[in-house]
Amino acid sequence: MEQEAVIGLEIHVELNCATKMFCDCPNDTSDDPNRNTCPICLWFPGAIPRFSAEALEKAALTALGLNCTLQPLSAFDQKVYYYPDLPKGYQLSQAHLPLARNGWLDIVGENGQTKRLRIQKIHMEEDVAKLVHETEERTPISLVDFNRAGVPLIEIVTEPDIKSPYEAMEFVRTLRTQIRYIGTAEGSLEAGTMRMDANISLRPKGTDQLNTKVEVKNMNSIRHVGDAIGHEISRQAAELAKGEPIVLHTRLWDPVKNETVAMRGKFEGPCVPDPAVPPIVLTEAWRNEMQMKLPEMPSVKAERFVGQYRLTREEALMMSAERDLSEYFEAVVQQNVSPRTAAHWIATQLLPAMRERDQGFADMPIPPMRLAGLLAMLEKDEINANATRDVLARLFETEQSPDQIIERYGFRQVSDTNALAALVESVLEANPSAVNDYRNGIAKAAGFLIGQAMQASKGKANPKRIKEILTNKLA
Amino acid sequence: MESDVSIHCNACPAMGSAPLTGKSFAVQHNISVRGWRTEAGTSALKGFVAVENATIVDRLRKADATIVAIDGMSELGFGPDGNAATAVLLQGRADMVLMTDMMGEARITAARTGIFAFKPTHGIVSRYGWIGLAPSMECCSLLARTPQEMACVMGVMAGEDERDFSLYRGEMPDFTSGARNARLIRKIGVARMPLSALSKGEAGAFRKALDRLGAMGLEVRDVDIADQDLFSVVHRVIGSVEASSSCGRYDGVRYGYRTAASMKNWNDMYLQSRGESFGMPLKAYLFQGAYFQFKNYAAFENAARIRARLVHNLEDLLTQVDVLISPTRRGAALKCPNKTVDDIYDECALTLSANVTGLPAVQIPGYVMDGDADLGLQVIGPRLSDARLLSLAVSLSHGT
Repeated sequence: MEQEAVIGLEIHVELNCATKMFCDCPNDTSDDPNRNTCPICLWFPGAIPRFSAEALEKAALTALGLNCTLQPLSAFDQKVYYYPDLPKGYQLSQAHLPLARNGWLDIVGENGQTKRLRIQKIHMEEDVAKLVHETEERTPISLVDFNRAGVPLIEIVTEPDIKSPYEAMEFVRTLRTQIRYIGTAEGSLEAGTMRMDANISLRPKGTDQLNTKVEVKNMNSIRHVGDAIGHEISRQAAELAKGEPIVLHTRLWDPVKNETVAMRGKFEGPCVPDPAVPPIVLTEAWRNEMQMKLPEMPSVKAERFVGQYRLTREEALMMSAERDLSEYFEAVVQQNVSPRTAAHWIATQLLPAMRERDQGFADMPIPPMRLAGLLAMLEKDEINANATRDVLARLFETEQSPDQIIERYGFRQVSDTNALAALVESVLEANPSAVNDYRNGIAKAAGFLIGQAMQASKGKANPKRIKEILTNKLA
Repeated sequence: MESDVSIHCNACPAMGSAPLTGKSFAVQHNISVRGWRTEAGTSALKGFVAVENATIVDRLRKADATIVAIDGMSELGFGPDGNAATAVLLQGRADMVLMTDMMGEARITAARTGIFAFKPTHGIVSRYGWIGLAPSMECCSLLARTPQEMACVMGVMAGEDERDFSLYRGEMPDFTSGARNARLIRKIGVARMPLSALSKGEAGAFRKALDRLGAMGLEVRDVDIADQDLFSVVHRVIGSVEASSSCGRYDGVRYGYRTAASMKNWNDMYLQSRGESFGMPLKAYLFQGAYFQFKNYAAFENAARIRARLVHNLEDLLTQVDVLISPTRRGAALKCPNKTVDDIYDECALTLSANVTGLPAVQIPGYVMDGDADLGLQVIGPRLSDARLLSLAVSLSHGT
């Protein structure tokens, strides 16, 4: 019987708040171990958690950006289990009453069509400490770094709408873009600021049977997400084919061996309402205020770019794909560069050059003003496209203005009619057979002659003017 | 015994006219005073020294009070054992005592020695720095020889605290309103049910107290409290679950007691350290809480639902009468208190309804006398009626 996969994702996202979720300690896990701790996040006796307003706001914004509905009432529960990374025997999490429900994200499906994947709920929780296992002489020891204990997280739980490794990867990619747009999290699988578990089960194709699921953890890149899910689907299919039952458990993805490894039986601890953190009541006014604070999201922005700047759909999608890119694009356009010219040059020249140099918008040396200056000269015919490409490459290496580079390297385009006429004359004289072809109506000949003229000018001639002069002379 | 009390003087010099100048407060070892040993009566915190002050310690000191530490308390405040505390009061070495009241410990301790006690409305006094067990049940209570000063102290201690987010944020009771408050209490409700649980002598003593109150012009009425028998079980289920969670932090990893035995792995280290840390009957109580957490969560949910109903019932009743009264404690029936969880709950049968509902309650001595034994008169008022209750205690202390 043919099997189909049913996949749900649980994604933890670290919010980029200044402080931890229940105390004023800096939210910085990169500091020396246990520097960012206090009686609250170490859970000294008598300490009381104090819920951070910033964490609530950022969690709410993220939920709204993922098309969820904020719940008027949510509350923290104690997820009880005993482990040294948990300083009080329970984790504060929202098990019974989550912050938000019923969201969705649209992805581009395998058939190129838009597919909507539903988000069941988003809840807030605190991160746990980090365990470091070492050996002292021959004794294994475990060290605990509490810098991460209490860092604000949200957990995004999808509906089991995902059918393939491809869809899972697309979902994560889209989610990451959305979250970076909202600006509330870094969302990096590689850096561990976004962590995900996948719940995978198989069922006979076309049925809605619910089978035992297996949880897979430890996927540190989008590629790993696809590989791990793909592997787990094959593994379960093979087990079922052998007539083996699937047992509820957790597996770890091993990217080196390219396989999932059984870790432990899945443990679900009890969740008890926490008596110390008051329930969170969100008024309609506050929820509206958050909606106002939400930045324009990519799909809305793409629509606007088409309407406002007359970009094509493809250009608009490209320019709105990342928040910093879209802001860069709009900053260039504001310097009176035509939007389509800006989009074209950013997409075909600037972005590839940045990729080549492994730079992002934050550490890239060409602010919008500089690029706009260059493109303005192109639009005024002061330089041609070839020269623009050369100047752009040099903008990465020097702090000189486009103007200075053009003067220094002699990129300025020659548009002077007399000089160009003499140039064209010499090209015509040197190529009598091409002139003959042109007169006989062979269209290719014009292109050849213009090319010769451009070459003779060392690329500095204005190709439009050359064409005009040539056409006149041969008329 | 002199040796069971260590007295620490306030480092701040007297500020003259501050509200509590010259007053001293005894605290048990479950309240954090920076630099002081804060073991809360449990081996789990052996040698633990507080790194910061509890909010109420800061407030009392700011009002120029002196803080005195008392050794000896029940483990993490579970069950009445305030002998050291009342000794300090009776010997005049402190003017008042601060004590956790999770199911009536402060009121019962006071009733045993014939002094006053006050448990405020839950959520008006900061719990920050107070080491307890069941956050939704317990609050800081006051013990005093006379009730006059308690209102003044409540005025200092109550109110919003940025370190305790769970506090009530509305208007606080006006503790400066004094005796005019007492006249607001006219109608006194007496629940029929608990009286049937009293012995003949105890019931007689209580009836005499009612006559005396009636003679003072108060209107005494019989009332029925629906599901009264459920208070104890609700307290026990929710209290034990919260206690189990609260004690999760005593794991020997970051502070407190860790077993000296060499263990194979952290899990064994946990089990051994925690096993050595807690004594009876607290250990049994924690097991009960873990049972509801891990094996019978439905019972916890039911208890939480019933609790909401009990709160509603009592608040509703308190719109028909101004206060509810009962004896504070049972008499001599309990020969060996605090041996088991059952003993503790039996002893607190009359007081724990105020903890389940979070309502304020005051214990008044000298009214319910069974021979030589003072059973105490407990008065429970509506939420935030704290100032009125204290005024009533003052006027009753005058016997007028």
